[in-house]
Amino acid sequence: MSVSQVALEFPLLRGRRIRTRIGWVLSILAFVLVAAPLLDILILVTARGISAISPELFLAPTNGISGGLLNAIVGTFVLSGGALIIGVPIGVGGGIYLAEFGTGSFGAVVRFLSDVLTGIPSIVLGYFSYITMVIWLGWQFSALAGAITLALMVVPYMARLTELSLRQVPLSLREAGYALGAPDRKVIFRIVLPPALPGVLTGALLALAISVGETAPLIYTAGWSNYVWNGKLTHEPIGYLTYVIWSFINQPFASAHALAFAAAFLVVLVVLVINVTARTLLFARTA
Amino acid sequence: MRTSPFRIGLVGLAGIIPGMLVAVVLFLAIYSWPAIHFNGIGFLFRETWNLGNLYADPVTRRGVQVPIGAQYGILVFIVGTLATSAIALLIAVPVSLGVAIFLAEGAPPRLRPTLSLIVELLAVVPSVVYGLWGVAVLVPLIAHYIAPALDDVLGFIPFFAGGSPTGFGLLSSSLVLTLMVVPIITATVYSALLQVPRPDKEAAYALGAMKFEVAVRAMLPMVRGSIVGAIILGLGRALGETMAVLMVSGGAINHLPGTITSPISTMASFIVSQLDSAEQDPTGMAVRSLAEIALVLFIITVIVNVIARLITRGLHVGLTSRA
Amino acid sequence: MQTRSSETLLRRTFLLGTLGGTSLGLISLVPRRAAAAEVTLLETGSSLLYPLFNLWVPKYTAMHPGVRITTQSTGSGTGIAQAISGVAQIGASDAYMSSAQLKKDPGILNIPLAISAQTVNYNVPGLNNANLKLSGPVLAGIYSGKIRHWNDPAIAKINPGVTLPSQGIVPIHRTDGSGDTFIFSQYLAASDSDWADNVGYGTTLSWPPVQGGIGAIGNPGMVQACGQTPGSLAYIGVSYAAQITKAGLGTALLQNRAGNFVLPNPTTVGAAVAALEDKTPADQRISLIFAPGENSYPIINYEYAIVNSRQASSDIAAAVRDFLTWAVDPAGGSTPEFLGVVHFLSLPEKIAALSKAQIAKIH
Repeated sequence: MSVSQVALEFPLLRGRRIRTRIGWVLSILAFVLVAAPLLDILILVTARGISAISPELFLAPTNGISGGLLNAIVGTFVLSGGALIIGVPIGVGGGIYLAEFGTGSFGAVVRFLSDVLTGIPSIVLGYFSYITMVIWLGWQFSALAGAITLALMVVPYMARLTELSLRQVPLSLREAGYALGAPDRKVIFRIVLPPALPGVLTGALLALAISVGETAPLIYTAGWSNYVWNGKLTHEPIGYLTYVIWSFINQPFASAHALAFAAAFLVVLVVLVINVTARTLLFARTA
Repeated sequence: MRTSPFRIGLVGLAGIIPGMLVAVVLFLAIYSWPAIHFNGIGFLFRETWNLGNLYADPVTRRGVQVPIGAQYGILVFIVGTLATSAIALLIAVPVSLGVAIFLAEGAPPRLRPTLSLIVELLAVVPSVVYGLWGVAVLVPLIAHYIAPALDDVLGFIPFFAGGSPTGFGLLSSSLVLTLMVVPIITATVYSALLQVPRPDKEAAYALGAMKFEVAVRAMLPMVRGSIVGAIILGLGRALGETMAVLMVSGGAINHLPGTITSPISTMASFIVSQLDSAEQDPTGMAVRSLAEIALVLFIITVIVNVIARLITRGLHVGLTSRA
Repeated sequence: MQTRSSETLLRRTFLLGTLGGTSLGLISLVPRRAAAAEVTLLETGSSLLYPLFNLWVPKYTAMHPGVRITTQSTGSGTGIAQAISGVAQIGASDAYMSSAQLKKDPGILNIPLAISAQTVNYNVPGLNNANLKLSGPVLAGIYSGKIRHWNDPAIAKINPGVTLPSQGIVPIHRTDGSGDTFIFSQYLAASDSDWADNVGYGTTLSWPPVQGGIGAIGNPGMVQACGQTPGSLAYIGVSYAAQITKAGLGTALLQNRAGNFVLPNPTTVGAAVAALEDKTPADQRISLIFAPGENSYPIINYEYAIVNSRQASSDIAAAVRDFLTWAVDPAGGSTPEFLGVVHFLSLPEKIAALSKAQIAKIH
């Protein structure tokens, strides 16, 4: 190749080549450094989780130290689904506002406070909800208190990631839309949002991942239940998978540990499936 | 046009976010007020945390009922929080940028979805599982290999000297946090890099830049706004993380970390570990002091955010001028 | 073109979202059962009692289809607080309530359900099968940083004939609030006046700063940290005996009030209970730590159900009474079938009678 010939002849260019080589090696190394622990965790969770997988896991609720995880699976879907139903409109709406109209001082305040909100520990949000909703409002442990608490956690991520991805859409696209006389709503939903969708989706998936994987804010709001959720939004505690991981690993029984790892495996699997589905939808477009 | 219902709706949705924060902070302030009054400013500078004797009759001090011997000081936890988050970001930022560049420009296009999925899966692993893995794998790794290696190489600096007999502590907490922060930064930067318009990239190639140089010198600066935003989001996650840190931190109380392998406690993890016992305090002062920790953590988060913004202001101006 | 197709994608996504929402709504409709005839109880609190409740509840609810009982592991302090606030009907606690707490909420009952014990375990390579002898004052010295090495004269003195290594001691304590910390520190406070004056006892402590000492989460965290750290020392609930054996840890002989060194087993634990049986008051709030008697094991405790004597309805009160009565009855839950699995001991007849008398007050 002519480039390599040039490189041999010009030491300066060769230095650049070596540096970019090193750069690539370092970036691959960074990936390996990140992927290795993940693989190790996945192998651990899968190896111990899969051996505990049985039909009963999906068909029966937990029964003492054994049984299935139906109550926890249903509960995790209800709580995370509820958190997304509450959190996504607020987060995406707020993010659109920040990206499109948020250059003023109100936008700056919202952006700043949203970043601060991510730094509030989940246990504090959980305790806040415990005192306000569970005790003051008298909802007791409930799906609603749990879902609202999770929504509190995910909204700032949704808002900021929506904003960040909308901002990457070139200004010229918007200008073209407005020049054609399109109102705000059309410019945003038809022109700006579509190309930014991967980023928004990334935000929603991250939100989902966070809400499916949280324990601390739910212990004081959703409580835990050994029974399948009966549809009541308040006055009825509800189970969830992360509780099983946390509390069953702390019991001295092998059957409880098996359930804990099965729950960890399911948490990862559920989000993996949702992630892949969402991506397939997206890449169906680009391909 | 300016005040279309659509735009008012967006303002309303955006307004919910500060509204939520104000509600939480107001709650914390009101709830912890007796503790703020009792603890005074020394709360921030004392190293001793003692719930007092919960089984003896409470005594009256400073006009309020508290358990005998109760003393609430959180300097140790402030230091632990700032140190873990700082070390985690110090490692996570370069790693995340490297991974994002590799995913967006280096990896074969066919593999990209799979590889980026791997990184995003890091965000999926429940905190507790990170903790379990940390105790089983990372902690022994630090005790047997990483801490002795640091001692050998950097041992002339006291902060890195001494090795670690147990592996639990500052380093293990920071590394677990790194793993939790990396997917947030990587995912954001990666999707921003994908958005860089082709003409912009081609302009850089036309100037004779190589692929890696295009990525680092041309594309990264173009998405700097996203990088800053992502780092701040990651910082928030690091400051507030509880369960995983709690399990690998060694749960220090009453003493400050001396080296990178000393046991520590962070504010968030300490609240979790103490909440249950605090509820046994009949005077309620323990729980209110924990709420005060949350309030202080909030204020620290505000300060750290401001500092992060000041440091990256040049970058951020570049971003806002684009919109 | 790209924008167009992504617009359909956007629409598809929204459609999916709506579908998801609807199916959620459907789920909420399907499993609705007749709730009127059922009584729902919530038990929450101690992670030590949690495994036992998890053994009891499936058996009990199978016999009583009208009662639904949910068990939660949250911690003793939370169990007490939520029993008081009415969020939970039964709070589980390893520690009885303080007089100050009871003064604030006089209607709360402390009802012993079973007897638990604790072991002190160590990982000293070469000596893990030897059952080292340890005493309260020595443990207090270790946990306050005065005794730093395994060959310290204080340890050597009570272990004549044992070659102790010069290895440093890593004392491990529980970071989370725990009944294990409560009874362990009660043992130290009862046997060492320095500890009583300077540290005291509680479910969490203001631990003296000890160079190299660490905290761990939960009993499994204690077992694991002790197992992977040579030179370490930990206190662990007796329910975890199997894990302790598996991790290859040593179990210490502890010095009791009479000066003898004993291991926990039904005889030594039973001896300690017998020594304090007659001293247990009607409200059953008493420490069983450091009991007198030649054979008494020094770290044991009652495991309590914390119950508000006034329940929200007579149906709920009746269900709580019936379940707890069954739990302490030798013909019900107080059998080796349940207790043996977690290495608890059943209440002596006299104490069970006191518990039943308290249970009868729930209305």
